[in-house]
Amino acid sequence: MFFRMITGAFRRQWKKMLMIALTVALGASIATAMLNVMLDVGDKINEELKAYGSNITVVPNSQAVMSDLYAVEETETKDEFLKEETLGEFLTIFWANNITDFAPVLDTSVNVNGNDIQLIGTWFDHHFEFKKKGTVYQRDTGIINLRSWWDITDGKWMDEAKLSGDQYAMTGRKTADMLGVSAGDRITVKSSKGTEELEIVGIFESGDDEEDCIFTTLSVAQRLSGAEGKYKKAEVSAITSPDDELAVKAAKNPDLLSGDEYDLWYCTAYVSSICFQIQEAIPEASARAVRQIADSEGKILEKTELLMALITLMSLIGATLGISNLVTSSVMERSAELALMKAVGAKNGQITFLVLTEIVLTSILGAAAGYFMGYAFAQVIGQSVFSSAIEMSGMAAFLVMVLIIAVTLVGSIPAVRMILRLRPSEVLHGGH
Amino acid sequence: MKLLELKDVTKRYGSLYALDKVSLSIDKGEWIAIMGPSGSGKSTMMNIISCMDRPTEGQVIFNGRDITKDSRKKLTEFHRDKIGLVFQQFHLINYLNAVENVMVAQYYHSMPDEKEALEALERVGLKDRAKHLPSQLSGGEQQRVCIARALINSPELILADEPTGNLDEANENIVLDLFRQLHKEGTSLIVVTHDPEVGEVAERVVRLEHGKIISDKKNNQFSE
Amino acid sequence: MNKKQRMFLRMVLASLLRRRSRMIVALLAIVVGATILSGLGLIYYDVPRQMSAQFRSYGANVILTPSDDSYMNSISIKNAVSVFPSDKLEGYTPYRYENSKLNNLPVTLAGTDFSSVLKTSPYWHISGDLPDGNGKTLVGKKLAEKFGLTVGDGFSMLNSFQITDNTDTSALPDYEIYTDPKTGEKFCDHTLDLKVSGILETGGSEEDYIYVTLDDLSDLMLSERGCDIVEVSVAAREDELKSYLDEINKRSDTLSAKPVKRVTASESTVLSKLESLVLIVTAVVLALTMICVATTMMAVIAERRREIGLRKALGALDSSIVIEFLSEGLVLGAAGGIIGSVLGYLFADAVSMNVFSSSITFRPLLIPVAIIASVTVTGLACLIPIRSAVDVDPALVLKGE
Repeated sequence: MFFRMITGAFRRQWKKMLMIALTVALGASIATAMLNVMLDVGDKINEELKAYGSNITVVPNSQAVMSDLYAVEETETKDEFLKEETLGEFLTIFWANNITDFAPVLDTSVNVNGNDIQLIGTWFDHHFEFKKKGTVYQRDTGIINLRSWWDITDGKWMDEAKLSGDQYAMTGRKTADMLGVSAGDRITVKSSKGTEELEIVGIFESGDDEEDCIFTTLSVAQRLSGAEGKYKKAEVSAITSPDDELAVKAAKNPDLLSGDEYDLWYCTAYVSSICFQIQEAIPEASARAVRQIADSEGKILEKTELLMALITLMSLIGATLGISNLVTSSVMERSAELALMKAVGAKNGQITFLVLTEIVLTSILGAAAGYFMGYAFAQVIGQSVFSSAIEMSGMAAFLVMVLIIAVTLVGSIPAVRMILRLRPSEVLHGGH
Repeated sequence: MKLLELKDVTKRYGSLYALDKVSLSIDKGEWIAIMGPSGSGKSTMMNIISCMDRPTEGQVIFNGRDITKDSRKKLTEFHRDKIGLVFQQFHLINYLNAVENVMVAQYYHSMPDEKEALEALERVGLKDRAKHLPSQLSGGEQQRVCIARALINSPELILADEPTGNLDEANENIVLDLFRQLHKEGTSLIVVTHDPEVGEVAERVVRLEHGKIISDKKNNQFSE
Repeated sequence: MNKKQRMFLRMVLASLLRRRSRMIVALLAIVVGATILSGLGLIYYDVPRQMSAQFRSYGANVILTPSDDSYMNSISIKNAVSVFPSDKLEGYTPYRYENSKLNNLPVTLAGTDFSSVLKTSPYWHISGDLPDGNGKTLVGKKLAEKFGLTVGDGFSMLNSFQITDNTDTSALPDYEIYTDPKTGEKFCDHTLDLKVSGILETGGSEEDYIYVTLDDLSDLMLSERGCDIVEVSVAAREDELKSYLDEINKRSDTLSAKPVKRVTASESTVLSKLESLVLIVTAVVLALTMICVATTMMAVIAERRREIGLRKALGALDSSIVIEFLSEGLVLGAAGGIIGSVLGYLFADAVSMNVFSSSITFRPLLIPVAIIASVTVTGLACLIPIRSAVDVDPALVLKGE
C-alpha cells in the first residue's frame, strides 16, 4: 500500500516532483562543479605558475668552506661539475611525477669575432632516457618550458629532435645585434678548448642578462669547456605544495622532526622535501629552492585555493538554501492532500514517512542527474580556462550526495512540523 | 421579456456529447434550477451561459443579441457586466479580507468603492465580518461573501453552481433566503444543483440527463 | 491616485504581506540569487587588483639601468620613479656593485638601501636581521658558508685603491700609500669594518654577494658614484606597465626602464587564467542560481492558478492579471535585489578580508545591476506560469482539482 501511495504521488504530481528534481539537480550540479574545480584548482594553477620557470636549482655540493681564513693563496676558483648521468635521478625520486621540467646548464666563456660572450649549453626540447635497475625512465624536457617569457623575435625555438647534429644555437637579441646576425646565419665560436661552427636557429628577447648570452646544445658547450659528460647546474621545475608550519620546521633541519612528522613531510610535495629527495638521490649535489619562485608560488596558490574555497562555500550555501526552500514550499502546498490523509485516519508518523520518502527519492534522482550536469560544467570550466580536464574526485561525489540528502531532510523540517500541526477540518474548510 | 435563449446548443468533447441540441429560454426575473445527476451536462451548460465556454454548435442569445461569435475579449467584458457568479467552493482570494474580496469584483468591473462593498456585505448580513480573512469565516459566511461579490456590480443574471454543496442546513437556509430576496427584487437567478431541496424553492426546474433536457416545468409549490 | 490604483496597490500589498510564508520562500530564493550575483560580481571585479598585489611577491618587475656607461644619480632615479602612481608603486631599491676583497679573495659588494629591499625582493629569507645602519652587512649564504661567517661575526673588507696622477689625494689623507714592487703602480689600502647582521638565502645568485649600505660602499670605494641598477616593484599589469615605461624612457635620457619579462609576462599569463577562472565560475554559478530562482518563482506562481482562474471568472482581462502578478514579482525582485546586494557586499568583503586581508572595493554600480537582474529574472520566471495560467479556461481551473 505504501509503495502504491508513493508511486501514486509520483504519477499525480509528476510536474511538481519534476520541479523539485530539477532544482535539486541544479543545486547538485553547482555543488559538484564547484567542489571538483576547487579540489583541482591547486594543481591547475600550479601548472600555470610553471610559467615563472624553475623553482629548484641543483648545483654541486661544495664542502669547500675555507678552513683557514687567512692562509689562502689567491687562486682561480676551480669550477665544480655534476655528471650528466645524475640528471636521470630526478625521475627516480618519490615526487618524480611532480617534476614537470628540468634542464642542465653548462656555461663557459667564448669568443665570437673578437667579442667575449657567455655561452650556455643546455637542453631545449630534449628527449631523455634513463635506465636504472632494469626500469627505463624517459621524459621530453628542456628550457622551452622553463623560459615561457622568452619572445622569439626571429627564427624559432630549437627543436632538438628535428635537427641533425648538435651545432645549433639561439642567441639573445642584444648578442645578435652586436654580432650583426639573424636566424639562419652561422657563427664561429672559439674557446681555449676548441672551435665550433653554430647555426643560429632563433633569436629571443628575455628582458634580462640572458639576452647577452648564446644558448647552444649541452654537448657543444661540453666540448667548448672541456667538460665532457658534465654540467654545472640543473634547473628543476616542480609542482609543490605551499609551505606550512611543518615545512618551515623541516626546512631548518629535517632531523629534528618526529617520526610521524618526518613521514608526512617526506610524502608531501613541499619544495623542501623534493630538494631533500634530490639530494638523497644525488649525494654530490645540493638542491636549493629558488625563493623568488617557490615562495611566491606558495602564496598565490594559497590565496587562489582559499578564494575558490570561499566561492564554493557561497555557492553551496546558495544551492542548499534554494533546495530546502523549494522542498519546504512544495510540501506546504500539499497541505490539503495531507490533511485529507489525516482525516481518513493516517497517523502523523505515516504521513511524515510518506512525504519524506517521496522527497528523498526525488532528491536522489535529481542529485544523480545534477552530478552529471556538474561533471559537464566542471569540464567546461577546465577546458575553457586551463585547456585540460578537471579531475573528478570521489570525495566530491560523496559530499554532494550527503549534502543533498541532508539539505532535503532539513528543508522538510518546517513541512513536517506543519504536518504535525495540521488540523484536517481547518484545511478542508479553509477556502482553497 | 426574454433574457436568455439557447438555440440547439451542442457541446462536444471529442466524440462525447456534453450537451446535445439543447434549447432553453429564460425570462427576465425568472428563478430557474437546473438539476441532474453528475455528468448530465449541468456544468457545461453553466459554463456556456456564463460565457466561460463556447458551444460547438448552436446559438446563445442574451438580451436579443447573439453572443456566440463574439471575440474573447468582448465575451469577457459582457460576462463581467451582466453576470454574477457563485461557486460551490466559494473561491475567495485567501489573502484578501471579506470587503476586499467584494471590491475585487468592482475593480475588474469599473471602480472599487469600499462603501458600496460594505453595503453589499450588510445585505448578506456580514457587515461586522468585513475585515476578516476567508480562513477566519465559516463556510456559510464565505458563501455569503461570495454572493455579495456576485451582487456588487448589479448583474442582470446570477449564476450559482451548487451554492449549497459545501454548507450545512442552517447556512443553506440563509443562502436560500438570500436568493429569495434577490428574486423578489427582480434579479434573474440560475442555480445549478443536484439537491432537491434547493431545486424545490426555485420557480422553474429544468432537468438534464445525458446532455438533453428531459423535463422543464414550473414549480407548483413556488410561493410568490 | 484614483480608487482603482489604490485597490491595485491594496491587492498587491495584501498578497505580499498576508501570504507571509510563501512570500518569504520566494523572497529568500531571490535574496540568495542576488547575494550570489553581487557577491561574485564584486569578487570578480576585485580579483585582478587583489591578485596583482599578491603577484608582487615575485619582486621587482621593472629595472632601471643607465642608458650609457655612466651611473644613475638619486635625482634622475626619483624623477623616473615619480612616473608611477604612488598607490601602485610598491617600492624601489637602488644597487651599486663593486669588486672588493675579503681575506684576499675577490668578492662582489653590493650597496643598497636596506629600508626598501624587502619591498622589491620580498622573497629574501634572512636569518638574523636586516642591517639597520652603516657598519652592518647582509652576507649571501654561499659566501657565508665559504668564509665560515655567522651572524654577529665581524670582518673587514679591503679596497686596494690605485693612485694615479689624477687622484685627488686630499680625499685620502690618513691612508698609507705603497708601491707595488712589480708594476710600480701606487696603491693605498682602505678597509671597512663590518658586522654580519644577517645571512641571506634566496637560492639564486644573490647568495654570492655581500650587501652593505650605499654610504659604507662609497666610504670603502672612496667615491660617491650613482647606481648600476634600480629594481622597482609596481602593482600594474603588463600593458599598463608598458605605458609607464614608455613615459620614463621618453622623459629621461640618462636611464632606461625595462620590464623584467620573466615576472611581467608570467604574471599576465597566470593572472589572465585566474581571471577567466573566476569569470566562468561566476557565470556558471550565476546561471544555475538564476534558474534555481526561476523554478522557485514558477512554483510559487503555479500554486495560484486557481486564483488566476477566479480573477478571470470575475471578468479580469488577461493583461490586467499579468500586470498584477508581475508587479508583485517585481516588488519581490526589487526587495530581494536590495537585500541581496547588501548581503553580497558583506560576503565579498568577508572573502576579501579572509583571502587578501584587505577590504573589497565597493562598486555602487553593482547594486542597480543586482536589482535589475533579480527583477528581470523574477519577472521572466513569473511571466511563464502566469501566461500559461491565463491561457487556461477559468471554468476548468475553478471546477476541478
